[in-house]
Amino acid sequence: MPFKEAVIAALVSLRSNKLRSFLTLLGIFIGVAAVVSVVAITSGLDRYISEQVLDLGTKSFSIQKFDAVITSHERFLEMARRRDLTLTDVEFVRRRCDACLEVGASVETNRTAKWRDVKQEGVAVLGVTDNYNRIGSARPLSAGRYLVPDDVERAQPAAVIGADLAEAFFPLMEPLGKTILVGGRPLRIVGVAEKKGSLFGFSQDNFAWIPITTFRKYYSARDSVTIQVAAVSMEQLETAQDQCRVALRARRHLDYREPDDFSIETGETIMDLWQTATRNIYVVTIVVTIISLVVGGIVVMNIMLVSVTERTREIGVRKAIGARRRDIRRQFLVESVVLSVVGGGLGVVGATVFSMLLASILGGVMKTPFSAPIQLWAIVLALVMSTAVGLVAGIYPASHAAALAPVEALRYE
Amino acid sequence: MTTESAHDDHLIETRDLWRTYTMGVEEIHALRGVTFTVDPNEYLAIMGPSGSGKSTLMNLVGCLDTPSRGTYVLRGKVVSQMDDDELAAIRNREIGFVFQTFNLLPRATALHNVELPLVYAGVPKQQRIERARQALEMVDLGDRAFHRPNELSGGQRQRVAIARALVMGPSILLADEPTGNLDSVTGDEIMRLFARLHAEGNTIILVTHEHDVAAHARRTIHIRDGRIESDERTG
Ligand SMILES: Nc1ncnc2c1ncn2[C@@H]1O[C@H](COP(=O)(O)OP(=O)(O)OP(=O)(O)O)[C@@H](O)[C@H]1O
Ligand SMILES: [Mg+2]
Repeated sequence: MPFKEAVIAALVSLRSNKLRSFLTLLGIFIGVAAVVSVVAITSGLDRYISEQVLDLGTKSFSIQKFDAVITSHERFLEMARRRDLTLTDVEFVRRRCDACLEVGASVETNRTAKWRDVKQEGVAVLGVTDNYNRIGSARPLSAGRYLVPDDVERAQPAAVIGADLAEAFFPLMEPLGKTILVGGRPLRIVGVAEKKGSLFGFSQDNFAWIPITTFRKYYSARDSVTIQVAAVSMEQLETAQDQCRVALRARRHLDYREPDDFSIETGETIMDLWQTATRNIYVVTIVVTIISLVVGGIVVMNIMLVSVTERTREIGVRKAIGARRRDIRRQFLVESVVLSVVGGGLGVVGATVFSMLLASILGGVMKTPFSAPIQLWAIVLALVMSTAVGLVAGIYPASHAAALAPVEALRYE
Repeated sequence: MTTESAHDDHLIETRDLWRTYTMGVEEIHALRGVTFTVDPNEYLAIMGPSGSGKSTLMNLVGCLDTPSRGTYVLRGKVVSQMDDDELAAIRNREIGFVFQTFNLLPRATALHNVELPLVYAGVPKQQRIERARQALEMVDLGDRAFHRPNELSGGQRQRVAIARALVMGPSILLADEPTGNLDSVTGDEIMRLFARLHAEGNTIILVTHEHDVAAHARRTIHIRDGRIESDERTG
């Protein structure tokens, strides 16, 4: 029987058993929906993280005492023994890196801020150099000014605050010029940053930037600083990193055999770590998919056997009028594949709906727009897999049908 | 594998056909050495008591089954030695089978039912539809092409089945109790159709219990206990 007739016959027989066909397809549906939606959601997260979290594509990087992500206790102990990075180091690096546009520093702590009786908990207090806003992606201000060299040189009690503080303390008043208490210390507001929203549910507007010198005077003089660097250009990013590395190693008299005793982190290095983590998600998905496809395949095979039994007489009639074994085999194989591919197709549709739903829920939770685009390669993969399942599951029932003796089949009640 | 027979002047030639069913340890001999010949354009009725082996013989002649022993030669080809696919081709081209219970595909239209043998013969779509329509017109059902079997009367269903049997232009038309499920008026209608088809040159073998049905034929074979009891010309 020609292929087209077989496909039409298969669709007709699927339609005549809608509920049974649907139940049959559940396994394949779940398998395919799992792959397609997990791929969509992780790739959505990838994009979200690279755009929103890591400022990928900016020409900046940082140098720290500790790695951004610590992978083991041993590694932590090793890093804890490293020398602290100091403001003198920052100055040293700045003089030796001509591929660097800006070299600055930052230190961070969490404090409670107060204005009269109003309290704001968990404020990220960043002690920074005056060029901090020119490194990485810029945060525009909604009022006032950035910190200036004079603030840093003379350790002024000046602060640029995030929108959360401005909203909490001065809903009706002008914040500029007011003096608030942060960790019990007075700071005069010189600027307010524009609102950015939240990331994974954490506000990005609950902060205060103050001169790094003021930070050391007020809170802690001995913390290791993070060196913040912007390269001259994207092309010079690696050169800048190398120059910083060479400078720091020279300053610390490291032998060429010794590893770096500091960590250089770009957005990409963190992205790599994230992708290592998502690989585990993929592994779990693959396992879930394989299990549901195997179960789905068994169900399809079972239903095909039922279908062959139910249609024994039809098979007899077809043989009586000239169907060869291969005609019957092909008819049932095509039916099995069509069944599976319809399941896979529904799975793709289900995954699309599911990832759109989940994306809008995630977007709501994180208070930022989030999308999980369906990936074409995942659809192709899913359909190839369901075709394969249909073929494998159909082989036995189809061969069984093909081998039926015409008289026996015709006599079947 | 086909071997040419020496006697290719007969359309059908069987020699000592046996068909034995084994049920556990018991052996049932449904046919015990049947020998006969059929020439082109004969109209032959097979009669006999229930369980005498009529259907078994028809199934052998129709290549739906193979004999346990003996030879069957159809149009000079030794059918009893053919493999499955060769038999399928013979059923497709040489034989038109009409069943007591019609055996139409319930979900397919009359036209599609008649078209099916052409599908397996690999005839292109356009030609298929044309030939299936002609066959339906031959049995006066040109206006029922798009009806499904459950929308047709018993007599109409049997005529669709006859159209399907004829559409490939077979050498013989086999009918196992074709009027068995029909009332006598509709049965007569079907018998008149067979008479016309015979007059148009078709070779017909039919199994029946009824003498007035057998009376349409020109020759009657009586079977009893798997053997030919008598073989007489009646017309
Ligand atoms: N598949 C089978 N297995 C075992 N015995 C069978 C089988 N088919 C037929 N028989 C036996 O072979 C004998 C002949 O059967 P057959 O169907 O040819 O009879 P028949 O002449 O067509 O009878 P009826 O007029 O009732 O249709 C019967 O005894 C039947 O029980
Ligand atoms: Mg019978």
